[in-house]
Amino acid sequence: MHIFKKILVVLLIIFIVIQFIQPDRNKSVQVVPADVTKDVSVPENVQIILQAACYDCHSNNTNYPWYNYVQPVGWILANHIKHGKRDLNFSDFGSYPIRKQQSKLKAIADQIKDGEMPLYSYTIIHKKARLSKEQKVLITDWAQKAQDSLDKINP
Amino acid sequence: MKKIKMIISAGIIALSFTACNTAGSKQTNNTDSAQTGQVTMPANNTNPAEGIVTGYLNLKNSLADDNGSAAAKNGKEILDALSKFDASRLTPDQKKVFLGLVGDIKENSEHISENGDKIAHQREHFEMLSKDMYDLLKATGTSKEMYLDSCPMYDNGKGTWLSEMKEIKNPYLGKKMDTCGAVKETIK
Repeated sequence: MHIFKKILVVLLIIFIVIQFIQPDRNKSVQVVPADVTKDVSVPENVQIILQAACYDCHSNNTNYPWYNYVQPVGWILANHIKHGKRDLNFSDFGSYPIRKQQSKLKAIADQIKDGEMPLYSYTIIHKKARLSKEQKVLITDWAQKAQDSLDKINP
Repeated sequence: MKKIKMIISAGIIALSFTACNTAGSKQTNNTDSAQTGQVTMPANNTNPAEGIVTGYLNLKNSLADDNGSAAAKNGKEILDALSKFDASRLTPDQKKVFLGLVGDIKENSEHISENGDKIAHQREHFEMLSKDMYDLLKATGTSKEMYLDSCPMYDNGKGTWLSEMKEIKNPYLGKKMDTCGAVKETIK
């Protein structure tokens, strides 16, 4: 067999084998005591947007797409989610020290305003995560209000 | 032939994805602390937070000079000081405050150190970092007088910062409005 063909066969085998290495899934069924709603009030219309546009990477519950089962795509997603949760996890928000909560709320507003979040690479596939102007205002206003309420406790 | 083509493309896709993945997970830990200039930490510092505060003040001055890349180095300086920080020198009360702040100081400094080309973004994090620093100074005290300044023209008057001098040097607006602001509080 030609060496080129051999390499192809090896690559194909690798591709098949890695399909069996599925990353752990980011799914939690238990109600978390440290959810964002613990310390700040989140109106329902805001909650809906957060869940649709942010929670896949910033909470303990990801709504997985079908291609998550294809490796190495699933690994890349798992990595994204890991980094996303490290930076901001709405399911764990209530456990953050108050200064960090304030910082995160400000960062949420800043990132939405600057158009940095949700990530373009994410919204290109997830149409639900594309935010309209009104939705952006809703989120930034909420983040501001939540920040103000925390500022009252901790100026 | 068609089959081979398919296999090739599958292989290439698989390879490129894994390459992407490892590049993305690589950590940026290039320690080039040698090139941090400006104020240096005195050897016999009395305040345990001195190194962190010094880094912060350098950062404030870099931002006032509109120098994002210097600000990025100062962010790194704060991270270095944070990693060398000796929490055992703190009283239990101070330690409690510090533990509530350390994560936020670290994250804000990381963002500042990684965004040397985006000074507006650095300033957003500087605003949060300034609040952390205020809390820290209030808890640990300060060996020299410090000033809490605020600027009505940045972020609806929420932009505050700490300074080692009474004279205003605005880190948010930079050179174009460098004297905008007023001393709000003197910290001793």
